[in-house]
Amino acid sequence: MASDDTLPTLKVLLIGPSGAGKSALLTRYCDDEFDPETSAATIGIDFKIKVLNVRGKPYRLTLFDTAGQERFRTLSTSFYRGAHGVLLVYDISTRASFLSMERWFNEAEANTVEGVALYLVGAKLDKADAREVTTEEGQALAEAHGAKFCEASAKTRENVRLAFVDIVDRIVQTPGLIQNARLGRAAGAVALGNGGSSGSGGGDGYGAYLPGGCSC
Amino acid sequence: MTQLPYAIDAETPLSPSELGVLRAQYEKEGEMVGVQTKFNYAWGLVKSNVRSEQHLGVMLLSEIFRTSPERRRECLYYLALGNYKLGNYGEARRYNDLLIEKEPANLQASNLRTLIDDKVAKEGLMGVAIVSGVAVAAGIIGGVLLRNLGRKR
Repeated sequence: MASDDTLPTLKVLLIGPSGAGKSALLTRYCDDEFDPETSAATIGIDFKIKVLNVRGKPYRLTLFDTAGQERFRTLSTSFYRGAHGVLLVYDISTRASFLSMERWFNEAEANTVEGVALYLVGAKLDKADAREVTTEEGQALAEAHGAKFCEASAKTRENVRLAFVDIVDRIVQTPGLIQNARLGRAAGAVALGNGGSSGSGGGDGYGAYLPGGCSC
Repeated sequence: MTQLPYAIDAETPLSPSELGVLRAQYEKEGEMVGVQTKFNYAWGLVKSNVRSEQHLGVMLLSEIFRTSPERRRECLYYLALGNYKLGNYGEARRYNDLLIEKEPANLQASNLRTLIDDKVAKEGLMGVAIVSGVAVAAGIIGGVLLRNLGRKR
């Protein structure tokens, strides 16, 4: 589909702890599928494209589904480059996943441009009977970070489309966001170093220009 | 719409400075390099568009695969991806199939298989075209030679 390439491209990232249901939301939204058997943790990063119309204008929405597992977190900062929006996903039936969201907000805020669209999603709404996080708590956390909020279920489809359409709407309604994200901030490289497993202090990132160069 | 899936890690190389950060950490840890550092560097290398870097990435991943069983599933995926990028489709399929065997519902692995199969099919066709082209040429040359031979006698 060559014609898609000419459309304005928006980049949205899905982040959140492992098992929150990021991939399930994305698969429901893009392919309208839900497989309760598919629970393999995402390896590194996955990717889907969808064309959608917002306020009568078509956009090419590129969706980056990131691995929630700790072992991929040191690499995750490179995923944020050029992002216009971030969907932060937790599982309403797992308290710990909600409690980790502050950290995910911090990561998102540290690696994106000013004005980036943030959207908090409480996933697995079909498990409301086993809920460990109230709707009000989710709402309050979202408001504290200037994010929008909804609870959704990939299993029943409830609110899945809403979350994606809302975040895109917010992106296109924010003046300058699309241009700012393109110019970006060179935060990625530095943060990659700081997030290293050894926990060594910052500054490593700038020492990358090795004398003698490496031709390996 | 029959669109090929995306293997996003195959198509988004890191910037030289990002890869430099991962390499510097790897070199700093030296002999005692931690598995996370080694994996991070290997991942950055496999994403690269430079063949020698892809090669080194695959090599490091094979080492991690042998020494760290808890890292096997991601190693299998990136070994498949790295070999796919290097054009070693047989190897790529072998690693990817091992992952699919363990996780039949893994969508990333089934997408990568589609990509590998597509490349094999395309290059296979090209191979057939080359082989048949050579056969036709050989036939013509052979025919000419035989005719000349016949004439001389």
